[in-house]
Amino acid sequence: MPKDKSNAPETGLILGLDVGGTQTDAVLISPEGVVSSVKVPTGDDLQATLQEAVGKTVSGVPPERVIRLAFSTTMATNAIVQDRLAPAGMIVSAGPGMDPAGFAVGPSYHVVDGCLEHRGFEAKALDREAVFAALESIRAQGIRALGLVSKFSVRNPAHELQMAEWAAPGFPHPAMGHQVSGNLNFPRRIVTTYLNAALQESHEAFVRALVLILKEYGLQGPRYLLKPDGGTVGLEESLRFPARTAQSGPAASIMGALALAPGTGTTLVLDVGGTTTDIGIIYEGAPLLEPFGIRLGPYLTLIRSLQTRSIGIGGDSEVRADSDRRLRIGPIRSGPPAALGGPSPTPTDAMIVLGLLEAGDPEQALRAMEPISAVLGLEVMETAKAVLDRTAELIAESVRAFLHFINLQPVYTVREVLEDVTIEPTGMVLVGGPAAQLAGPLERVLGIPCRVPSHAGVANAVGAAVSRVTSEVSLQADTGRGTVVVPEAGIHQFIDSEFGLEQGMAMAREALEKAVVEAGGTYVEPEVVVTEQQSFNMIQGFMRTGRNIRLCMCVMPGLIPEWAGRY
Amino acid sequence: MAQALKRTGLVFFPAFDWAISPTHPEREERLLYTRDQVMEEGLLDLDNIVEYRVRPAAFEDIQRVHFCVPDEASVTTESHLISAGGCIVAADAVMRGEVDNAFALVRPPGHHAMRVVHGNRGFCNINIEAIMIEHIRRKYGIRKVAIVDTDCHHGDGTQDIYWHDPDTLFISLHQDGRTIFPGTGFPNEMGGPNALGSTVNIPLPPQTGEEGFFVVMEELVMPLLESFQPELVINSAGQDNHFSDPITDMNFSARGYATLNARLRPDIAVLEGGYAVESALPYVNTGIIMAMAGLDTSTVKEPNYERDYRPQSPDVTRNIDRLTARLRLVFLEGKYDAPSHSPGDVLERKREIFYDTDGIFERQRELIRVCKNCAGALGVESAASKGTHIFGVRIPQGVCSECRKTALSWFDQAARGSFAHIFLQDRDRDVFERVSP
Repeated sequence: MPKDKSNAPETGLILGLDVGGTQTDAVLISPEGVVSSVKVPTGDDLQATLQEAVGKTVSGVPPERVIRLAFSTTMATNAIVQDRLAPAGMIVSAGPGMDPAGFAVGPSYHVVDGCLEHRGFEAKALDREAVFAALESIRAQGIRALGLVSKFSVRNPAHELQMAEWAAPGFPHPAMGHQVSGNLNFPRRIVTTYLNAALQESHEAFVRALVLILKEYGLQGPRYLLKPDGGTVGLEESLRFPARTAQSGPAASIMGALALAPGTGTTLVLDVGGTTTDIGIIYEGAPLLEPFGIRLGPYLTLIRSLQTRSIGIGGDSEVRADSDRRLRIGPIRSGPPAALGGPSPTPTDAMIVLGLLEAGDPEQALRAMEPISAVLGLEVMETAKAVLDRTAELIAESVRAFLHFINLQPVYTVREVLEDVTIEPTGMVLVGGPAAQLAGPLERVLGIPCRVPSHAGVANAVGAAVSRVTSEVSLQADTGRGTVVVPEAGIHQFIDSEFGLEQGMAMAREALEKAVVEAGGTYVEPEVVVTEQQSFNMIQGFMRTGRNIRLCMCVMPGLIPEWAGRY
Repeated sequence: MAQALKRTGLVFFPAFDWAISPTHPEREERLLYTRDQVMEEGLLDLDNIVEYRVRPAAFEDIQRVHFCVPDEASVTTESHLISAGGCIVAADAVMRGEVDNAFALVRPPGHHAMRVVHGNRGFCNINIEAIMIEHIRRKYGIRKVAIVDTDCHHGDGTQDIYWHDPDTLFISLHQDGRTIFPGTGFPNEMGGPNALGSTVNIPLPPQTGEEGFFVVMEELVMPLLESFQPELVINSAGQDNHFSDPITDMNFSARGYATLNARLRPDIAVLEGGYAVESALPYVNTGIIMAMAGLDTSTVKEPNYERDYRPQSPDVTRNIDRLTARLRLVFLEGKYDAPSHSPGDVLERKREIFYDTDGIFERQRELIRVCKNCAGALGVESAASKGTHIFGVRIPQGVCSECRKTALSWFDQAARGSFAHIFLQDRDRDVFERVSP
C-alpha cells in the first residue's frame, strides 16, 4: 500500500496508461521520473489492448514494485458514442416548466405525476399507481437497469427515494438523480442518471476483466480510473457512477502537462494527436473546469469535466489543396501518414519532408506532397512548410475561439463583473506525438512562448498516473423549510432556525472528506476549494423568515504528493 | 401555443451581492429562485437560447437620458450601471442580428426613474430601458420605438422621459393609480404638445385577470402598435400583476405573461418590478423566456395555480370593456379636443415629485417649445428638498434651428442665474455638458 511508509515509496513504481483513439500509451514512473514507456496500437478489443500494453510495460519488472496503477480508458465513451448502451428504464416526475416528454431517453421512459417546487416543498404527491405501472412496463420489456429522477430532487430527494423503495423488489440498485450531482438542471440530470444506469452492466464487466488482467501479472497496488475532471476514482468505487469515467482522454493530457511542465500564470495546453488536437487551460496551477458538465456524444450531462475543446486536426489529418489554392487540413483522417503507407499526405509527412522527423519512408512522404505542390505552385519544401504553418494557423483559430467562449461566460454578482477576470495565456505547453515539430509555427501564430516537456509523447499516460482523487459536494440549507440537503452524500435532514454558514461549512467539509475516502483517496485539507458560498436572507413581508445557504466544495484536480517536484 | 423557434438572447444579472436594504423587496434573494428555476429547466442548454455576459454601462450612456444631480456617480451604484449595461448587451445582441430577440433579466429596475434624478424613486435610480433605447438610437440609427410597460405600477419615469417624444410610443398597462403607487397613469396623460397621443395609459381595475389583459392586448395594444409601425418593440416586463404578488392587487398568471409575450413579440424585454420572489417570478420568467424562444408554454403553471387563481369577476370585465371602448375612441379614432396652442408658443408645466425610497421632495418647472418640425426645445428647472437647484436643457435629435436657438438661449440665461448645476443634453450632436458655477 502506498500509504504504508515502511514500504519505502522511493522504490515504488507507478503505472499510468491512456487509451487513445489510435494509440495506447503506458508509462512506468519511479522517484526519478518516467523510467519506461510503451505505445501499442489501440485495437477494437479494449481488453486485448489493455492486456498487451500492461504486459509490455511491466515486463521484467517485479510486480510488487508497482505501488499504484491508474488508467484512462475509453470503455464508457465507446459504449456511448457507438450506441452500445444496455437498455435502461426511466421514471421521471416533473412539475411546471418545460414538458418532460421532450427529455425522453432510452427504450422505456415514463413520466409520472408528482411535483417538488424549487425550494423542495412537495406541491403534488407522487402518483403511486403510475410509478407501479411504469415499473411493471419496464420489467415486462425485460429491462434490468433503472433510473429515477424528479425535478428539484437536489433540493429534496424524497420522491426519488420513494420511487426507489417501491422499485426495490425488482431493481435493488436503481440510479437516482440527486446522487449524480448537486447542480440544478433537470434534463441533464435525467440524461446523466440514464447513462449511469445503462453503463452499469458493461462497466462491471470491464472492471472484472481489468482486475483479472492485473491479477495475471501479479499487480496488486491500488488501482484507479481517470475521470474527465482530471481526478481519479478507485476502480471498485467507480461502479457507483460509471458514466463519470467517460471521455477522460483530454483530462489525461492536461494533467500530464501540469505534471511535466509546472508553471505559473495562465498556460494553454495543446495535445496534438493523430486525428485530433485537444485544447485546455491551466490557470494559476489549476486546470479550468467546465461550468455545467461534459457533453458525451449526443448527451449533455452533469458530469464534472475540465474545460477542453477537441478539434479535428492532428498529425495524421488528410491534407488537400482546393482549386483556389487554399490548403485544407482535416478533419478527415484517411489513414496513417503517406510515409507509413497511408493514402494521402499529412502534416506528419510535411515534418518528414522538412527533415524535422525521422519516420517511415521519406520518399513516399515527398511523393505524396507533390500533387499539393503542383496546385499551390510551390516547391515541395515550401509546400511542406506551408502545410505546417497552415496546421498551426488552424489550431490557433480554434484556440482563439475557445478563449473567446470562455471569456464570455456570464457572472452573477457585482464583484465578479467588476473583477472581470479574462483568461489570456502567457505561455503554452505542447504535448502529444508531433508536438516538438509544431512548436515553432505555433509560437509564431499565437505569439506566446512554447514549452515541449520531455516525455511529451506520453504525457497523457503520465497524467493518468499521477492525478489525485477528486470529489465534490454541494449543500443547500433552508432554515425556512427547516432542512439541509447534501444530495451527493445522501444527507437530507432537519435543522433549526439557528443553522448558519459555519455549521454548513463544517457539514459540507465532513461530507466531502467522506466522499474522498470512499472514492479511494486521502483527504487533505489544503486541496479543498470552496467554489460557492452564499447566504441569503429570506424575507416575507419585510420580516426575515429564514436563511438560504448555498455551498459548493470540492477537491480540485491536482497531482498526488508522491509526484511533487519531480520535474 | 408553440410558434416557430426563435433565437433568444438572455442577459441574466441577479446581483446576488446587492440590496437597497437587508429586508427591502429589492434585495439579493429576489432572483435566486428564478435562477434556480431557469437552471433546473435547462433552458440555457437549448440551441436557440444564448446567454450573454453583462458589462457595466458608462456615464455617457446615462447622460443621453438623465440629468443626474449632482452627477451620475452620486446617484448610482455599480449595480445600477451593470443593470443598465445588461440591457445594452441585450440590445446589441438583437441589433447585430446575433439573436432574434433578447430578455434582460436584470436588477435593480428602472421604470420609475424620471429625466431628473435626485435619488431613488420606487426602487429605481436610473431608467434602464430609456438608457438602452437611446443607446440603440445613437448606435444603430433607429427612430421609432414602442415601449409596452406591463409592470403593475405605472411606468411614470419612462413616461416622463418620453413625454415630449413623438418617435416613442409609450403604452403602460397597470393597476389603477387611485389604488397604488405612484398614483398616476390616467388616460388623460397623453403626452406633451409635440407628442400628443404617443403616451397611452391603460389603468386596469384591481383584480384584473388573464381575460382582462388579453382583451386589452387585442383591442388596444396590438392595434396601437399596428398604426404606429415601430422599428422596435420593447417590453418593460414587470411581473407584479401576478396573483401572488405581496405589494399589488392584481390577478395575472405565469401562463398569462407567457401568452402576452408570445402575442406582443417584443424585440427586447427588460425585467422591471415583481416581488413574489418565490411564487411568481420563477414561473413568470421561465414563461417569458420560453415564449420569446417560441417554445410551447402550456406546461408553465404555478404549482398553486388551481388553488389561488380566481377567474376574473364580471364587474371587472365590465369595467375593462368600458375602459377599452373609451380608449379606442381617443387613441385609435382620434376623438379628443384639439389643444389650443400654436407653433412657437412656449408652454410651462409645474409638478411636484416625491421620491418614496429616498424621501426626497422635488419641485419642477418644465418649458417646452411647441414645434411642428421637431420634438421641441425642452427646459427643466428642478429644486429638491435636499436643497439643490438645477436647470437642464435638452435639444432633441433632429432639432430644428428655431428650437436649437431657443434651447441655447435658455442655457445662457440659466448660466447667469443662481443654479447649482446647469445641464445641456444635446441629443442631436450627442454632446453632454454640465456647468456648476
